[in-house]
Amino acid sequence: MLGLTGISLAAAIFPGAYPIPFDAVLATLSGQETDATRKIVILDIRLSRICLSWLIGSGLAASGVVFQGLLRNPLADPFTLGVSSGGAFGASLAITLGLAGAGSVFGLRALPMAALAGALAALAAVVALGRIGGQLRRETLVLAGIVISTFLSACISLFKALNEESVSAIVFWIMGSLQGRSWDHVLLILPYYLLGCSLMLAFSRELDFLSLGESQARQLGVATTQVRLALLGGAGLVTAAGVAVAGVIGFVGLVVPHMVRLLLGAEHRPLMIYSALLGGLLLVWSDVAARVILPGGAELPVGVITALLGGPFFCFLLRRQRAGHS
Amino acid sequence: MCLLRTNPCPAQELVIKDDLERQIQLKTPAQRIVALYGAFNEILFAMGVGDRLVARTQADAIPPEITGLPSIGTHMRPNVERIVGLGPDLVLQMGGRKAARQSVDNLERFGITTAMFHVETFEDLFSVIHRLGILTNAPGKAQDMIHQMRERLNAVRARLPHRPGPLVFFEVRSGNLLTAGQASIVTDIISHAGGKNCVELNDRLVRLSEEELLRLAPDVYLSQRGPMNPAPQDIIRVSRFATLPAVQNGSVHIVDEQMFSRPGPRNVDAVEQLAAILYPELFPELAATAADTE
Repeated sequence: MLGLTGISLAAAIFPGAYPIPFDAVLATLSGQETDATRKIVILDIRLSRICLSWLIGSGLAASGVVFQGLLRNPLADPFTLGVSSGGAFGASLAITLGLAGAGSVFGLRALPMAALAGALAALAAVVALGRIGGQLRRETLVLAGIVISTFLSACISLFKALNEESVSAIVFWIMGSLQGRSWDHVLLILPYYLLGCSLMLAFSRELDFLSLGESQARQLGVATTQVRLALLGGAGLVTAAGVAVAGVIGFVGLVVPHMVRLLLGAEHRPLMIYSALLGGLLLVWSDVAARVILPGGAELPVGVITALLGGPFFCFLLRRQRAGHS
Repeated sequence: MCLLRTNPCPAQELVIKDDLERQIQLKTPAQRIVALYGAFNEILFAMGVGDRLVARTQADAIPPEITGLPSIGTHMRPNVERIVGLGPDLVLQMGGRKAARQSVDNLERFGITTAMFHVETFEDLFSVIHRLGILTNAPGKAQDMIHQMRERLNAVRARLPHRPGPLVFFEVRSGNLLTAGQASIVTDIISHAGGKNCVELNDRLVRLSEEELLRLAPDVYLSQRGPMNPAPQDIIRVSRFATLPAVQNGSVHIVDEQMFSRPGPRNVDAVEQLAAILYPELFPELAATAADTE
C-alpha cells in the first residue's frame, strides 16, 4: 500500500494540460530543467495539487472511520455532523459579500479562511448542542448535526436567492475542486491535519471499545465523554481543514472505510491507517481525472468524480453486505 | 418603410421569429414593454422608444431614466405577479439558459406575449435590434442604429494592421478560473478589436485549468470587473503566472463587465476600448481613455 502510494504520488505528476515530455519532468524534479514555465507547472501547480489532494483524501477517509465508529453508524461520514455545511456557509457568505478575492491572511484569500471558520464553528455548535448533562451521546450528536446542517443549508439557499450573480460560484465551490490551489493552501491545512490525525490515532484503541457500546466501554475503563470529544475534535479538525480549501468532496469518507473494513476487519488503528492511505490515493487520482478528462484544458469539479466513482461502489458494497448476512 | 406611409401599418407586418424559432405576432405595435434583461433597455432607448418600457429588473440602472420605473425582480427570477399586474403587451428575455426559458413559460400561461433572444455575435445583436424595430414599429430607427454600430466597427477595422493579432485571454471570474469560450460575445468583441480569443472551446463559459492558461500563453490578459467578478485576480502578483507573456509584456487590464460580457449596444464601446489596448499606437485618441479605466 505504501509502495503504491509512493508510485502514485510520483506518477500523478506526469499528466496535465501543459505538455511536458517525460524526461523534462524528471529533469525538473532533479533541478536540472531551465525552462521557467515548466518548473512552475511541475513544482508549483501539479506538485502542490497532488500533495493537497493526498492530504485531503487521507484526512477525509480517516475521519470517516472515526465518525462511523463513534456514531456506530455505517452511513456516517465526515459530513454527517454538519462540518461541510458550516464550511459551505462560511464560503457562501464570503462569496456573497464579494470578499472571496479580497483581503489576505498569510498570503491566502479570504475564502478558505471564511470556510474554515464556518466549519469549525459548526462543529463547536454541534458539540455544544449535543452535550446534555455533560455527556456526549451519539443520538443527540446526530440530531444536533442534522439540525445545524439543515439550518445552514437554508442560509446558503438564502444567499443564493438574494444574489443571483454568485449562484454559480457558490454551487461550484460546494461541488469541491482543487483548481487554483497552491502551497499556501497546503500550509494552511497542515497544522490542523497533523493535530487532528494524531488525536484520532492516539484514541484509536478507545474507539474499538466505544464501538462495543457505551456501557461496555465504561466497564473497560474508558472515560467515554472525554474520548468522544477528543475523537470528534480530531476528526472535525481534519474535515474542516479539507472542506476549507477544497469544498465538499463527498464519498471518500464514506466509501473508503467500508472498502478497507471488508479487507482488514474492524480494528480501528489499522483501519484508520489503511483508509488514510487508500483515501489519499483515491483523491490524488480523482483529481488527475478532474484535470485531464475534459478536452481543451477545461476542469471538472473533483467532487463530481468522487461521487461518480463512489455512488455505484457503495451500492455494490450494500448488496454484498446484505448477501453476507442472509 | 412603414413610417413613410400615411395609413397605419397592416397588422401582419408585426411578425418576427424569436431565437426559440417561435413566431411572435403583435396586433398593434408594442406599447407596454417589460425587458427582463438590461441590454434591451439600452437598445429601446437608443431607438427612441424607451418611453414604452413600463418596468425594469432590480439590477438595471442604464440609462438613468430607467431607475424611475417599478422593479419586477431579477433577470433569472422575475416576479410573475408584478409583471402580470403591469399588463405588458410584450416581454423580452435574453439567454439560452433553461431557467430563462422557464421564467417566460410562466408568463405565457397568463397569455402574455414573450420573445426570447440569444446573442453570441454582433450579427446576432443586429438581428435582435432589427426584430425589436419590427415589434415596436420603429424599423427605420433600428436600421439607423445598426448602421451606426456597423460604421464604428468598420472604422476600427479599417485601422487594424493586416497581420494576425495578439492572443487574448478573458477572465470572467477569478478563484475557480472561469473564462469566455467561442460562443461568447466576448470572442466576437476581441476579434473585431483585432485580437484572437486564445480559448478555442465552443462553450460560452469554460472552467479552465491554470496549466491550460500557461499552455495558451496569451499576449494580453483581460479581467472583467462587475457583479460576476467583484474581485479580479491581480495576476501580476501571482508567482505561477510570472512567465505568462501577458504578464511579461505588462499587458494585464481590467475592463467593465457590463460593457464586455453583456450583449448590448455598448459592446461597440468595448471593441473601441480593446482596440486601443491592443494597438495603442494606432488608436492614440482612444488609448488615453482606455488607460483611465484600469
